[in-house]
Amino acid sequence: MAEKVLELRGLCKEYPSFRLKDAGFSLSRGRIMGFIGRNGAGKTTTLKSMLNIVHPSAGTVAFFGLAFAEHEQEIKRRIAFVSGGANYYPNKKLSAITAVTRSFYDNWDEAAYRRYLKLFALDESKTPKALSAGMQVKYALALALSHRAELLILDEPTSGLDPVSRDELCGVFLDLADEGVSILFSTHITEDLDKCADDVTYIRNGEIVFSLPLGELREKYRTVELTAEQAERYKSSLIGCKRAKEGFTALVERGACEELGGHASDLEEIMVHLDREARDDG
Amino acid sequence: MAKLLKKEFALFAHPTSWMFLAFGAMMLIPGYPMYLPIFFASLGLFYACLSARENNDLYYTLLLPVRKRDAVRARALYFVIMELLQLAVCVPFAILRGVLKIGPNAAGMDVNVALFGLALVVAGAFNALFLPRLYKNPAAVGKPFLIVSVCVFLFIFALEACSFVLPFFRDVLDTPDPQHLPAKLAVLAVGAALFVLLTVLGTRRAEAIFEKVDL
Repeated sequence: MAEKVLELRGLCKEYPSFRLKDAGFSLSRGRIMGFIGRNGAGKTTTLKSMLNIVHPSAGTVAFFGLAFAEHEQEIKRRIAFVSGGANYYPNKKLSAITAVTRSFYDNWDEAAYRRYLKLFALDESKTPKALSAGMQVKYALALALSHRAELLILDEPTSGLDPVSRDELCGVFLDLADEGVSILFSTHITEDLDKCADDVTYIRNGEIVFSLPLGELREKYRTVELTAEQAERYKSSLIGCKRAKEGFTALVERGACEELGGHASDLEEIMVHLDREARDDG
Repeated sequence: MAKLLKKEFALFAHPTSWMFLAFGAMMLIPGYPMYLPIFFASLGLFYACLSARENNDLYYTLLLPVRKRDAVRARALYFVIMELLQLAVCVPFAILRGVLKIGPNAAGMDVNVALFGLALVVAGAFNALFLPRLYKNPAAVGKPFLIVSVCVFLFIFALEACSFVLPFFRDVLDTPDPQHLPAKLAVLAVGAALFVLLTVLGTRRAEAIFEKVDL
């Protein structure tokens, strides 16, 4: 069984208007996990709670089998967390920020740093303020990827990037996973996960709904297109039935309603319809 | 800790801190509340904290492989270094004041060894009060500084009043050096001890608070 690099159990956090409830999942070495959910579902709170950037009210977090609370420094040396872009020290040159950051890592890989600067077309003489949002993300990633982190935790890393850069980044993630690096990244762009994720964890209203291998998830559902009459007739078997440009679409479980045809669901369809189903039920 | 301290000087330090060091020359003003030139270090620290908030410094720091409490300790150590540096800059001007025979300070405590001891207590009080408030809500820097400044100014006012009212202050401490030097050296030693004690207490409190803060 692959080594677990990350394991969350019963993670809770209360805010006046939001509650993270018993969040739990695990990530194995060399796997890429997508962390999905709509805005405000609790993705960032979960990621920040894992690293004690926000203080969880209950639960345990272990990295590489080590409890975060007792091994914070060692764990932080072995992981990298990128939330958005490099939105710190906007008026300092990238070279100055890198010089300070580099000094904290004994395992800093200068060759890798130079490689990522080139790959992402970053100019070290610029300041974060002079970079676009997408380039800030790339700089933050270059820093994260240059200290040989064994686990990358990325909060919306591809959000500000153009399609070519996103594709390049997915390629980088796949290469890193081949080298044994694990990646957990939250995103709204499920298309990126279709390209590179091994596992998907879905959070809704502060609760983890599922955490499954992507292949298993795809096996589970099929997307069907329906007329109004079909939508009514098959109502009880449909999951998250909603209006589409022409008629209706819904998920059905594999093996059910075979006569409706349909196609293998992609991640966006699964997320959208499951969320719709929950709202309809709620 | 050395790496964090290096980071404090490379990224956190604000240019005004270095500028305010020059205010040590105010020791040459014939009549002036002499605790104030020393207090300018605190003002420099406030500007650095303000700038750090705008620069998202805490967030950057917490991404580094450091413990939350070490981030607080490094900041406190930076405070101590800048405060001691401010005192160190004041010393040659205090000596020069004696050489130039500028005379006693009519506005309050004279410039002497005891003044530096009492100034250390003032700096320690600033650290003890400001550090925990700074980390309680890292987004609010101005309000804690205002509250702490008022407290520190009241403390300075009380100390200055002592040099007019209390016989020990008036007749022993508020005299030109080297008169009553043993007593003044004792005040310096006690001041240094209190500076360390108050700073350690403030730092520990700030560490405990910051551990539970959500960023």
